[in-house]
Amino acid sequence: MSMPAPRYRFTLDEWHRLANTDVFRKDRRLELLDGEIYDMAPIGSSHHGAVNFLTRFWSTQLGTRAIVSVQGPVIAPPRSEPQPDVALLRDRPDFYRQAHSQPEDVLLIIEVADSSLDYDHAKLRFYARAGMVEVWIVDVLDERVEVYRAPRGDRYDYVRAARRGESLACLAFPDVSLAVDDILG
Amino acid sequence: MSMLAQRHRFTLDEWHQMIDAGLLRDQHVELLDGEIYEMTPIGPPHQSVVDRLTHLLVTTFGDRAIVRVQGPVPARPRSEPQPDIALLRRQADFYRKAHPEAPNVFLVVEVAETSLAYDHAKLRIYATGGIQEVWIVDLRGDRIEVYRDLRGESYGDVRISERGESLACLAFPEVLLAVDAVLG
Repeated sequence: MSMPAPRYRFTLDEWHRLANTDVFRKDRRLELLDGEIYDMAPIGSSHHGAVNFLTRFWSTQLGTRAIVSVQGPVIAPPRSEPQPDVALLRDRPDFYRQAHSQPEDVLLIIEVADSSLDYDHAKLRFYARAGMVEVWIVDVLDERVEVYRAPRGDRYDYVRAARRGESLACLAFPDVSLAVDDILG
Repeated sequence: MSMLAQRHRFTLDEWHQMIDAGLLRDQHVELLDGEIYEMTPIGPPHQSVVDRLTHLLVTTFGDRAIVRVQGPVPARPRSEPQPDIALLRRQADFYRKAHPEAPNVFLVVEVAETSLAYDHAKLRIYATGGIQEVWIVDLRGDRIEVYRDLRGESYGDVRISERGESLACLAFPEVLLAVDAVLG
């Protein structure tokens, strides 16, 4: 229940400091959105299967053309650090060991939504604000992939839904096409 | 926002560990129902009443109780408000090892200048946490609201004390305090 007062917002620095403490149990999946900490939904098997497929697909299709990050933190300034299911990052020799990615390093974000569609839709504004160029939401229940491009303010100007039987490619790699049927299984 | 349900609710343990780790050290925040709220900055009228009350309670109760000013008072399961004043059972170490739990809190006093709605909303937190008595000093209304008779999430006995009257808390029924002495 909410109180009639503003809630405290953490900065990215504070979030990183928190990550270095033992405050949260290690088995907790948490992400920072607009300065607040969210519990991420547990991962069901259809969700997990889609992530596994996407990981193999992008890794084999792209090789060294990109780094495939799975459920890793992606900095989305000013004060978000979501953990999308899959992110394609610009290739970097250190594999982002020295420092987290910045929005300009992020070529594609993919969120797989089985029980969390509302939550993943709500996250879009943080991706848009940070200028993430492309986001896909794999809607497992409605059997479609939503494609978001052209971030402007809190929104994406270009929105399209791809269904079974259709294929799609991302802006960064227009030559690499994947079938919605393969993503959904 | 549809994300509400997934916003992380801190436990008291997590809250204490965060503070121990040095986070939020310079922030004026409190934990209410697992969420962190910014406390409104305190203006001179509010602060003057807090200071006046501190003086009054310390001189009145002496060694009979501890007066905690704007300090943490855990209100289980997952709140740790920082009321303006908390009157605590005396303890030789002044609660050095751990903050006082509800049975050791005789009275909480919140001074409300611009924050009356917030202080009213906090009543549920205090009641749930088992705090037996809360006073809200309503500066704009120029009166003291008295809350007693814990019933789950609320207080069953609510009364108003006005200027010219006296009041006492449940823990020390014989110690009368003049409303005028509190309001100044």
